[in-house]
Amino acid sequence: MRRRSAVFIFAAALLTAGPSAGRAEDSKPKQPEARYFAVTKATVHTVTGPVIHGPTVLCKDGKIAAIGHDVAIPDDAEVLDAEGFHLYPGLVAVRSSGLVGNEPPEDNTNVYSLSMTLGLAGGVTTAVANDTAAKLSFGTLEDHVVKRNLFAAISYTTRDPNGRRTFRQALEQARRFLRDLQAHEEKKKTDPAAKPPDAASLKGLNQTALKLLRHEVIGVADADTAQELKDLAELAERYDFRLVVRGAREGWVSAAAMARAGLYAVITPRTRRDRDERSNHPNGSSIENARILHEHGVPFAIVPGSTSISTSGLAGRDLWQLAMEAAFAVRGGLPDDAAVRAITIDAARVLGIEHRVGSIEVGKDADFAIVDGDLLHYMTLVRWTVVNGRVAYDKQKDSLLEHIRPGGDRDAPPPPDYWPRRLGEG
Amino acid sequence: MKDTRRVLRWFPLLAVFAIWPGSRPAVADQPQHLAFRVGKVVTMDPQNRVLNNAVVLVRNGKIEKVGPAEGTSIPKRYELIDRPDHWLVPGLVEAHNHSAGSGRDLHDYVYLTNPGLRTLEALVPESNDIKRARAGGVTTVHMIPGSGNNLSGFGTLTKLAGDNVEQMLIQSPGSLKISQAGNPERYWYGVGRTFMYYNLRQTLQKALAYHRQWERYEKDPSAEKPQFDLFWHDFRGVFQRKVIALIHTQWYQVVMSSVDMLAKKLKMRIVLGHSTFEAYQTAPLVLEQGDIYASNGPRQIHFDRRQRKIMGNAARWWQGGVRKLGVNTDAGVIPQEELPYQAAMACHFGWKPYEALRGVTRVPAETLMLENRLGSIEVGKDADLGLWTGDPIDPRSACELTVIDGRIVYDAGQQREF
Repeated sequence: MRRRSAVFIFAAALLTAGPSAGRAEDSKPKQPEARYFAVTKATVHTVTGPVIHGPTVLCKDGKIAAIGHDVAIPDDAEVLDAEGFHLYPGLVAVRSSGLVGNEPPEDNTNVYSLSMTLGLAGGVTTAVANDTAAKLSFGTLEDHVVKRNLFAAISYTTRDPNGRRTFRQALEQARRFLRDLQAHEEKKKTDPAAKPPDAASLKGLNQTALKLLRHEVIGVADADTAQELKDLAELAERYDFRLVVRGAREGWVSAAAMARAGLYAVITPRTRRDRDERSNHPNGSSIENARILHEHGVPFAIVPGSTSISTSGLAGRDLWQLAMEAAFAVRGGLPDDAAVRAITIDAARVLGIEHRVGSIEVGKDADFAIVDGDLLHYMTLVRWTVVNGRVAYDKQKDSLLEHIRPGGDRDAPPPPDYWPRRLGEG
Repeated sequence: MKDTRRVLRWFPLLAVFAIWPGSRPAVADQPQHLAFRVGKVVTMDPQNRVLNNAVVLVRNGKIEKVGPAEGTSIPKRYELIDRPDHWLVPGLVEAHNHSAGSGRDLHDYVYLTNPGLRTLEALVPESNDIKRARAGGVTTVHMIPGSGNNLSGFGTLTKLAGDNVEQMLIQSPGSLKISQAGNPERYWYGVGRTFMYYNLRQTLQKALAYHRQWERYEKDPSAEKPQFDLFWHDFRGVFQRKVIALIHTQWYQVVMSSVDMLAKKLKMRIVLGHSTFEAYQTAPLVLEQGDIYASNGPRQIHFDRRQRKIMGNAARWWQGGVRKLGVNTDAGVIPQEELPYQAAMACHFGWKPYEALRGVTRVPAETLMLENRLGSIEVGKDADLGLWTGDPIDPRSACELTVIDGRIVYDAGQQREF
C-alpha cells in the first residue's frame, strides 16, 4: 500500500506541477485543433522517477501533458491500450548513421527508410546524424530536428603535439579575452570611454575556445587511452568547459580524473582490446568500464559497436539492439536502472537535450518505446514506438516482425514462404 | 576458494618451478576436487533435468556426483564453491571456430583443393582469444580451416585449456572441412559452383576409392596392401562416419546440393556449418536424411526481401521440424566469448531459451560426436562447467568460474575478462 500511495503522490505532483495540468483544462482544450494521444494501462518506467503501474499518459500536440490514474482522456484523443506492456522513454542514439538523414536532416531524411523503421523497431526515437539530433519521425518531417550544432569537435592528443599546443593556446587566448572583458566592466565604472576588448579578434579555433569557456557549446573528443582521457580531463578541469569523450575504452583507469572534471562519456561496453602486457600501467578494454565510470559518477551514454543498422544477418551488434549493448554493461556490474539511463536520459544529457527527451515527465516530448517485457531482456520485443505523440511503429501492422511471437505466442506458426513453400508437402 | 587463494599466494614461487626444466606447466596442475553447491544446475541430460539447490562433485577431471543439496554430503578435501544464487551449466561447445589458432593460417590458398592440411598445426595454446573464450564459459571448440578453398583441410576438436597441444587436444582430424559456394568462388576467376561441385565429386570419389582399397585389404589380408598416401588417408574416418564433414553451406540451392551429394549419395555425416539465408526452407530435405546437424551462424537473421520479413534462422529451422539444431559464432567473425549471445539473438528472433541453451551445449557436443564426454552435467562426463550469475543466454549474466577437466581455468573473482 505504501508503494501505491507513493505512486499516487508522484502522479498528483506531476498533475499539479505540469504546465497544462488539471483535469478540467484537459477535458476542455483551449485550441480546438489540439492533437491528443493517450497510452493507458502500461507499466510506465519514468526513468527519472518511479515505475508507475497502469497510469494514463496523456499527450497533447506531441508533448506529455499529464500522467496519472485519474487523468481524463478527451473524446477526440487517439487511445492506445497497452495493458501488459512496459512503457519506457524512446531510446536516444548519440551516434548513428542512416537512421535520419545527413545535414540538414530535414532536407535529407527519408521518413520511410528501412533503417528508420528498424531503428524504431529497436525502440530508438532520437538519433544523431553528424552534428544534429533528430527524431525518427516516421512519415513526417514535422518536429523532426531536436537540436543543431550539438558539439564543438576538439582534438587533443599526443599523436598531434602541434594540435595540442594550438588548442591550449586558443583556450588561453579565450580566457585572456574573458579577463579583459571583466577588467573592462570594472574600468567602465570610472572611465565610460574605455574600449572593450575586440571579440572579432578571436577567430576559428579561438572562437570555438571562447564558446567552450562560455558554456555555449559542448566539446567532443575521441579518446580511448587512459592518458588521452586524463589529459582531456585535466584540460576541461583547468579551463572549466563541458566535454564529452567518445570511446573512453580505458575510462575504468581514468575514471577519477574524468569525474573530477565533470566529463561525459560515450562508451561501447563490448569494446574488445587486449591488454598490452609490455605497458607499465593498466590498459585495454574492460567489461567493467561502465560500472566503474558509474561508481565514480561519470555520466555516460551507451552506443553499440556499429551505429548504423544492417540487415545482412549479424544480429545484435548495431543500433537495432541498442538495449542489448546496455545489457552487456550490466554484465560488468552496472545496475539495470543505470543501464537504461545510459540509453535514455543520460544519453539525452550528453547531447544537451535532456529537457526534451529521455524520461517520462510532463512537458517532455511524447517519445515512447512500448515493449513486451523488461527492456534489457533478450526476449523483449518492441510492440509500439511513439514519436512526438504519433505511433511511428506498430509491430503487428508492419510486416517486418509481425510473425515473431504475435501476442506473445512462442509457438506461433511460421509465415508462409514464396517458392518452395510446399517443399516436402507432396 | 580458500585453497585457491593459498595457492595463489605461493604463485610466484610456483611460477619459478614451472619454468624449471622438467617441471609440469602451471595449467597442468593435478585436477582439483571441487564441490559446487549452487542455486540451479541445468544438466542438459537426456531427461532435460534442471535441479534447483543442487550439489555437483568433481573429481579427477570427471563429474562424480549430481544431486540435491539436501542429502548430498560434501566429502573432506573437496574445495567447496558455495554459490546459492548461481547457475551451473555445462561448458559451452562451439561447433565452428577459427580463432583458436593463428589467424594467419586460417586457410592456405595454395590449391583450390588441399584436403591434406590440418588445423592442428596452427593451434595456439593460451592465446588471448582462448582466454577470452573461457571467460565466456566456452570450454571446447571445433577449430576448422577457413572457407577460402573448396576443400581446405581437416579441423581439430580441442579443449580450451592446456599449455600445449597434447594437453588440449580431443581429436585430430576432427572433421573434414568443405566449402561449397560463396567464399571459394573468390579463389580465382572462373571458379563457380558447377566447377566446385564437379571438383568435390571427383576428389571425394578418389578418396572413396582409396578407402575401399584399404577396406578390402582389412577384410582380406591376403589381398595386396594398398600404398599409404597421406593426401587421402584422413578421408577414411569420414567414410567410416567416425569423422564429421563440416560444410560451409548456405542458401537454399547450396544446402540442397550438400544434402544430396554429400549426405545422401556419399553417406557422409555432415554438419551444415552456416545454414543461413533462406536455407531453412530445405528443412524437409534435411529431416529426410535424419542424421544431419544444422549449426546456424554467424548470421542469425535473414531478411526476406520479397515478403519484407525478418526471419530468425534458428526459429525457422525449428519450426521446420529440425531438432538437431545449434548456433555458432564462426569466431572470430563473432567473438568466441559471445556464443551464448548468438543464442540470445536466435531467441530474440523467434527461438526458445531452453532449446537455445541446449543449442550451445548438448547439441553441438552431439554435432561433433562428443556427446559421450561433453555437453551435459552427468556422472562420468568431463568436468567442463560454467558457473553463471544467471541464465547464460542473458547478456546481463556473467560467467564467474570456468572449469575444464576439473580445473578452474577462469575465475572472474580475480580478474573479470567478460
